[in-house]
Order: sequence, then C-alpha cells, then structure tokens
Amino acid sequence: MDIDVKNLHPLEVKLLRYVNAGEDITEERIANGLGYKTGQCNQAFSWLSAKGCLEEVSRTKRTIYELTDTGRAMQKEGLPAERIYSFLKDNGPHAMPEIASALSLEKSDVGSAFGLLSSKGSLKMNDERKAEIAGEIADEVKIQRSILDKAAAASFLDESSLSDEEKKAIAPLSKKRGASSSPFRIQEREDVVYHLTADGEKTKDAVIKANITGEEFGVLTPQMIQTGAWKNGTFRPYGINAPTSRLIPGRRNAYSEYLQWVKDKLISLGFEEFDGPLVENEFWNGDALFMPQFHSARDIHDVYYVKDPVHAKQIDEPWLSQVAATHENGWQTGSRGWGYTFDHEFTRRQVLRSQGTVLSAHQLTKAHVPGKYFGVVRCFRYDQVDATHGADFYQTEGIVIGKDVNLKNLLGLLKMFAEEIAGAEEVKYVPGYFPFTEPSIEVHIKHPVLGWFELGGSGIFRPEVTEPLGIKEPVLAWGLGIDRMALMHLGLNDLRELFTPDIESVRTRRGN
Amino acid sequence: MPKIEVPENIFFHLLGKKMTDDELVDIFPVAKAELDGHDKENSVIKIELNDTNRPDLWSAAGVARALKCYESGVIPHYDFFSTADDEKPSDGRMVIDDESAIGIRDYSIGFAARGKTVDNDLLVNLIQSQEKLCTNFGRKRKTIAMGIYRSELIKYPVHYAAVDPDKTKFVPLGMDEELSLREICAKHPKGKEYGHIVSSFPRFPYLYDDNGDTLSFPPVINSARIGAVEIGDSDFFIEVSGPILDDLLLAVSILACDMSDMGFEILPVKCRFAKDTPYGREITVPYYFQKPATASLELVHHKLGEELSAEECIKALQKMGVHAAVSGEEITIQVPEYRNDFLHGVDIVEDIMIGHGLASFAPVMPADFTIGRLSPVEEFSRKVKGILVGLGFQEMMYNYLGSRREYIDNMHVTGDDAVFIANPMSENYEVIRPSVLPCLLESESVSGHAVYPHNIFEIGKITVKDAEDNSGTRTIDSLGFFSSNVAVGYNDAASYINTLMYFLRKDYTLSEAGDDPRFIPGRAAAIIYKGEKVGVFGETHPQVLESWGCSMPSIMAEIDLDKLMM
Repeated sequence: MDIDVKNLHPLEVKLLRYVNAGEDITEERIANGLGYKTGQCNQAFSWLSAKGCLEEVSRTKRTIYELTDTGRAMQKEGLPAERIYSFLKDNGPHAMPEIASALSLEKSDVGSAFGLLSSKGSLKMNDERKAEIAGEIADEVKIQRSILDKAAAASFLDESSLSDEEKKAIAPLSKKRGASSSPFRIQEREDVVYHLTADGEKTKDAVIKANITGEEFGVLTPQMIQTGAWKNGTFRPYGINAPTSRLIPGRRNAYSEYLQWVKDKLISLGFEEFDGPLVENEFWNGDALFMPQFHSARDIHDVYYVKDPVHAKQIDEPWLSQVAATHENGWQTGSRGWGYTFDHEFTRRQVLRSQGTVLSAHQLTKAHVPGKYFGVVRCFRYDQVDATHGADFYQTEGIVIGKDVNLKNLLGLLKMFAEEIAGAEEVKYVPGYFPFTEPSIEVHIKHPVLGWFELGGSGIFRPEVTEPLGIKEPVLAWGLGIDRMALMHLGLNDLRELFTPDIESVRTRRGN
Repeated sequence: MPKIEVPENIFFHLLGKKMTDDELVDIFPVAKAELDGHDKENSVIKIELNDTNRPDLWSAAGVARALKCYESGVIPHYDFFSTADDEKPSDGRMVIDDESAIGIRDYSIGFAARGKTVDNDLLVNLIQSQEKLCTNFGRKRKTIAMGIYRSELIKYPVHYAAVDPDKTKFVPLGMDEELSLREICAKHPKGKEYGHIVSSFPRFPYLYDDNGDTLSFPPVINSARIGAVEIGDSDFFIEVSGPILDDLLLAVSILACDMSDMGFEILPVKCRFAKDTPYGREITVPYYFQKPATASLELVHHKLGEELSAEECIKALQKMGVHAAVSGEEITIQVPEYRNDFLHGVDIVEDIMIGHGLASFAPVMPADFTIGRLSPVEEFSRKVKGILVGLGFQEMMYNYLGSRREYIDNMHVTGDDAVFIANPMSENYEVIRPSVLPCLLESESVSGHAVYPHNIFEIGKITVKDAEDNSGTRTIDSLGFFSSNVAVGYNDAASYINTLMYFLRKDYTLSEAGDDPRFIPGRAAAIIYKGEKVGVFGETHPQVLESWGCSMPSIMAEIDLDKLMM
C-alpha cells in the first residue's frame, strides 16, 4: 500500500514515531507515553489499522473494579466498620441508634457492620444492649482497608491482581449496575494489543525521512499571524491529492451558453439580432413566405392553432394586399402566382410560430440595405415528442440583404458558417428545396466528430417573398441546424435533455 | 418529404445502367433526391425526394428520367400529348363529365395504356406512384384521386356524375357485398379514411361505363370488377378526378410519361367537360397545357453572380430536360410535359444553376459592411444572468408548451390569461406557459435527490392574453427565480430582489401582492417600477408545494424584463 505520509493525521504521525516493530502497542502505553485520551487512541488505532500500518495481535477480556465517589469518600473517612470500632474504642459502649446518629450512618449500615465485627469477636452486645469492644478489629476489615487504599492509588483494581481473600472481601463492596452507593463499580474491559506491520514500518520510515513530527502547524489562525507564532514552527504539509469536497456554484446553463456563443459568433460576423412573439398568424407564418394556403405543410396536423383569440384583428397594409395579389396572380413580381383565391380570413388565423423564417419575413419590412440579420428563436412543430423531435425547439435563421448579393455570396456565407460555427473540415453544397427560396441550397459539412451531415438550408428569397414586403434587392436566407452540434457539444444524444428540469443533471452538465 | 421504395431491377432498367450506391449519392442531388437506404436483401432502393413542388420526381421513372437526362443531355420525347391544335386519335375512348358533379368534384379525366403485362414489382411500383401523387400532391385525395382499371372490361364512353349516395350501389374492391355509396363511407376502410371529402354533399361522385357498370366511387374506392387490377393484366384505363383541372392534367401527364418510360403504349382519351375551361369544353388527354416561361439573361447573371453565356444556359437547361431558346436577352423555355413548377424567372435560374453544376460556382464573401448587434433584451438578459449567477443561482432552460395541470391547476390560478392550443397533439402540450414559475416548480418536484439549497432561474418567453394587442396576446421576456431550503423565507426573496435591482440601477417600490394564491398571504409583494407592476415575489404557498409534491419551503419571483428594461 502506498501511503502519502503528508496525508497522515498528527495523531498517526506521533504514534508511528513512538512505536517500533515487535513492540506491543496498547492504549495504556500510548496514553501514558503520548498523553492521548482514550478517544484519540481509538482514532489513531482505527485509522492506522485501516491503512494497514497496525495489526491486532491479541484481544483480552478482563474485569476491573473502579473506585466510585462513594468509595473515594470511604477511603478517606473510613469504612463503617472501622468508624464504629474506633468510636466505641474512644467513647465507650453505645446503643446502636446512638452510634448511627453520632456517625451519620444509615442504621442498616451500622447493623451490617456490627454483624461482621461481632461475628469475628471484635465487638459484642453487653447486657444494657449497648455495643462495646470485645477484641482486635477483624482481619476482613483490614483487608477491605488495604483494598481501598490500593484502589485509591491506582484508581482501579484488576481482578487478576487480587488474592482470594481480597476477592472475597471486595465482593460485598462492589456492584455492576447502580453502583454509585457502593465503593466499587465492576467493569468488563477489553485489552487490545497491536503490532506495527511491515507497511507500518515503511510508513514510519517515510515519516521520519520526510521529517514530519506531528507537531507541525495545522490551520493558520489569525492569532498566529498577529502574534507571530507561526515563526516558531513549520506547517504540516497537506496532501494535494486529498479528495475535494463538492461545491455547487451559481452557473449558466450549458445549452444556453452554447446558444450565446453562436449569437456572439454571428454578431462578430456583422449580423444584427431579431426577435418576435411566439403567437403568429397564417399571414406571416406562411402567406408572406409564398407558401400557398393549401400547402401540405400548413395542414392542421402540422401547425398549432391558437384557441382564443382564433384570429388576429388585422394584417398590416400594404403587406396584406400585396401578398394576397402575389399568391393570386403574381402581382408585380413577374411571377404567375399560385392561381387561387386568397383566403382573407384564413390569413388572420393565429398559430404558434412554426419556423424561424417567419421573423426573417417580418424583418424585411423594417430592414436596412445593406443589412445582415439573424435570430435564435423558439419554434413549435406538430410532432410526436421523442429523442429527435421536441414540441418546441430553437431555430437559428437569418438573412443578408444587399444590392448585388447572389448565389456565390450565398455559398461564401455558408462556407463561413461551416468553418466558423461548425468547425467543418470540408463543405459540400447540394441543390435543396424550400417554398420561399429559389435557388435553394443545402450545405453539408464534414465535422471532425460527427462526420458528414446537413448543417443547414439556404437560398435566395423568391421575389414573390421580398417584393410584396417592400424589398427590391436580393435577399439571401439561411437556417442552421444548431441543435445537432449543441448535443455533441454537451455530450447528449436526446433533444429532450436540452430542456431537462432535473437540477442535478443541469448542475453537472458541461460543454466540450 | 415524399419517400419512395423502388425495386433495383425496375430502377436500373429505367436508368439504362447499373450504378453503385456511391454513384447514386453523387448524382441524386441533381434531382434533389437523397439515397435514403439500400435494402440489398430485398433489392430495394429507398429514395427521399426533397422538392415538394416536383411531383414528377416522386417515382422511380421520374428520378431515372431526371438522372438520365442530366448525364446524356438528351431530352426525352413523348409523342402522345395532344395540344389545342394537335389532337391525337382517341379511337372512341371517351370520358364524359356530367354537370351534376360541378361544385362537388368538378372534373374527371383519363387515359389508357397497354402493351405490357404487369408483374408484382411493376404493379406495386405503379400503385406507389399513384399513391404519392394522390397523397402528397393531391393532399390526401382532396384535390387528386386516381383510379386504375381493367380497360378491356370497359364500354366507352365512361360517365362521371354526382349521384344519390343511397340509391347508387356496387360491390367495392375488397368486399363481397353490394353497398350504397353512403354505406361504403361508413363501412369500408377506405370509406372511413376518405369518405369525409365528399360526405357533406347531397350527391356523391360516381364513375361508370356505358353499360352502367361501376368503375369507382371517386375519391374513395374502385369497384371489385372493373376496378380490380391484377398481376397479368396488360390493358389499363387510368382516371383522375378533382376540383383543379391543371393539377389533374399534370398528374395524368406525369403518370403517362412514367408508364411510357416503363414500356407501355399510351392511348389518348377524349374528355368532355361539363363547364367551360381555359382549354375549351373538350380536350384529348394526355394534354400539353403548359405555357412557355421566360427569364432574362440579366436575371441569371444577377442571381448566380456568373456571366453565363446564352449557350451555357441552353446547355444547362437541356441537362435538366428543358428545351430553351435565347432571343436577344431573353431565355424562353418549353416546359416539360410532366412539370408545372415554373412560376417565375428564378425557377429557370435554379435549373440553370443545377444543370451548369453547383460545384462550378466559387464561394465569394458578401462585400457589404454591416454592424453586428445583439437585441436589447438579449443584452439586458445577460446582465441579469450575471447577477443571478453571482448570487449562486443555476440557470435552467425549459420547454414552452405544457399541460393545464402543470401551468394552471398546480399553481392554483384560474388560467384565464393563458393561451391554449386549439389542436393539441396531447394534453401534455396544450398550453403556452403563462409564467416561468411552474417550470421552476417542476424542477423542484423532480429534484429531491439534488443537494439543497436549490437556487434556480430562467430567463425565457411566456405568453399571456392581452386584449389590446393585435393578436390578443403578448409574449413577454420573463425572469423567474426560485430558492428552496430549510428556513428560506420572504426576507431572502426581498434581499435577492434588492440586490438585483441595485446592480441593474432600477429604483423600485413594493406593494401588497394582494390575493395571489401562489404565495402565502401577507408574505408576498408586487414590484412597482415607474408606477407599473413589473413583478411579484414571496414565499410559495404550501398548497402549491403540495400540488407539486414538494416538501421543502421555498421562495420565488417573476419579473417582466420588457417592462423593467424601459
């Protein structure tokens, strides 16, 4: 066993330095030699045994007689028998009650002492029924006296040290329980003897070699600094690899931090953040994006409808008229439109925002040219909730407006995202399809960990989207699948985990 | 996105050669397709199609046609299309639409095909193409329903009318007994699935031949005799019904081209309408209805950022199966028979981009200088988060949709201000959260094992009703925080609020929170800022803790950051 001696407690260090191989190590010896209290001895023994430095070689049970407070008083003032004998010797015969009252003894104690002394011929009852001296004091009493004296010197007596006579004499003076009125308490003790093990010897050598004495300073106190006491010694070295305690800090959420990092990246690339309400209407959620009102993605099974109010009060002009005309016949956009009758009630129906592009459409009505905008926004999708689908989730979307932005700029933008945000090793573009962009491009990247995957979708907004919202210039639109990278960043594989309510799991989560 | 599964042998036969999976992965993007899987055991290729506006690509023949054309530059020619000026012989085959169907399901048109005996693979593939067209393009048969029939059993002309659903009876496919149209809606599996499309009308669509034999009850089910196509059949009549004529013509054209590619001879059928159409009262189907589309070379250059020549544009379009000519600055294309997705010049631009090869366009960074900027609420939120983290709070993030039980019942509030979903998928996600506090309490309820104290917060959106807003709702950027521990109390909450407000430089006052069942009466306060209530905090009422199954005392607070920012 490898023991870092710096981790040893001073109680262990001092004990190790005090003992040698082959010696019996007992509580008595350590208490006497090092001044340890019983509890300290037990701590040192148990820690060093656990470390394999000490081994138990024997364990002996024994009975001891411990002097009680009553016993101590009796030793000083005399045994009842001694006191009665001496009283009668000095004052002549007295009746039993007189003796009890003169010596402040219980009548029963006087009775039993007289019984003992008279049976041995030390006292006798005369004709006047008074006790008087009859001979020498009994041997039994002398033995009890010597036991008391011995016990007072040693604080307790070991049964094994008593002669048979002494054992007989101590019996009436001792009790196991409720012993406070008796001179002696009987106790059972175990004596454990330890020996230093080979590991113990090694550790002892290491302690000596490291010059650790156990007398080093522990905690540095303000007093030590004020008095300069620290100058008179050395500090106990601490084990630098000792187990640390757990701290629970105030902390940011790891997923939120990742999204913040993405936002900061986009800011650094010249994008301005947009945001918006969760409740949208069909106009902005679909119509403004030139998705025909009969489009399959606008079905009741794809969008959450708001129960109340069912409809928005109004859709702002001129956007409504221009978008409606674009759907019907293309308006002034050069498109032939979808060729159906635009439903002005349906367009006001309220839904939960189903795609981040909705906010890009809103932004068109207030955008500057040139301009770059983005949002990391919560969207709602009508999907069964499972490991890869959440009821609500973040989409990262944005637009770039400029007089001459074109496909090649779009590819440049995607390349920049791929490298800056996803750390892509390779980038591949393939034609994609979105109802609101033409051309449409998907960007696939080779990620150092995830391999090839689709990072996002993009395109140039159709004129049917931009022109009815007042933008003549081309607009590049893009969306990035951030969640997949977020999961990898956080070491997770279930989207639901991103929004877990479990405090412990959030406390311990960390990004790569 | 439509997905199809095609037998290898059919696909490679249509393609004219075999290709490896790697080769397919490389070439598929020109048709906006992805190799979704290759079941080698059953020799089936799985393909996902991404362009929801290109139903011609949702079949083995369609994908194969696009790939073949892209590689060879040879545009396929189909000689069976009639035009307004050139009517192909229909040899007595005819469909007559009756005016009774107008307003119910206006049109039925069709064509015939013969010359190839169908085996199992071919039949499955044909039915799959039909299903994709009716389900994805035809919106689950609402706008397109298609039937395939045994042509040799039909006595032309075929009649299409709307009839009494109780008096008209026939034996539907998959059943033995004769049922009325209304009974089919109630009893037949397809009736239960699609009957609702027509069941609100007094009369139901019905297709029958000149002998009075039933073909089908569109858009629900074929008859068990003429409508029961089997392996070994080689003569077919294909009929399409729906309310939008252009969609029907396109669906017919797609299926006719597919079947022609598979080796069938396409036989035109004359269709007589019951009302005026842009193409007259009578046309022969398949019918070429598309008009030429145009795009200027300038548009091409501007969108693609590359000065492609007229020849390069024509060549690129040719690879996409599109005939094009350039006159002066204008490109005019002849739309392929099986496509109808050219709405604007930009649609031509995209075909040129794909045909020219996306890899040939070099990425260029946009040159415009713009200033990056966070939204004001994001900036403010970051300040707030910094202070709360410093106070020892853990930031949380929650879903915004939940149940009435969590957001309302457990909070002992009325929920009058909550915005509910009209069509929830489950009662677990039926309302947008009107407050951050129930989310924080949910955390508490599932985190008994986590070391106390629990100090948590979130800044996120909530939505409440607001009659003054155009939407009748208001989305609020809200801060909620929560602390639970033995002996936590009002004073702790007040101290947190005070510290937060001090560092945000916001002067506030407190007033009695009033009757708020979420807090212990007399131990909650409203936060007043600039004369308006912006938040509330206090000791959580034990009835709320009990509802959430929590047993540790707690305090909580919620503040409207939009108002506090002002």
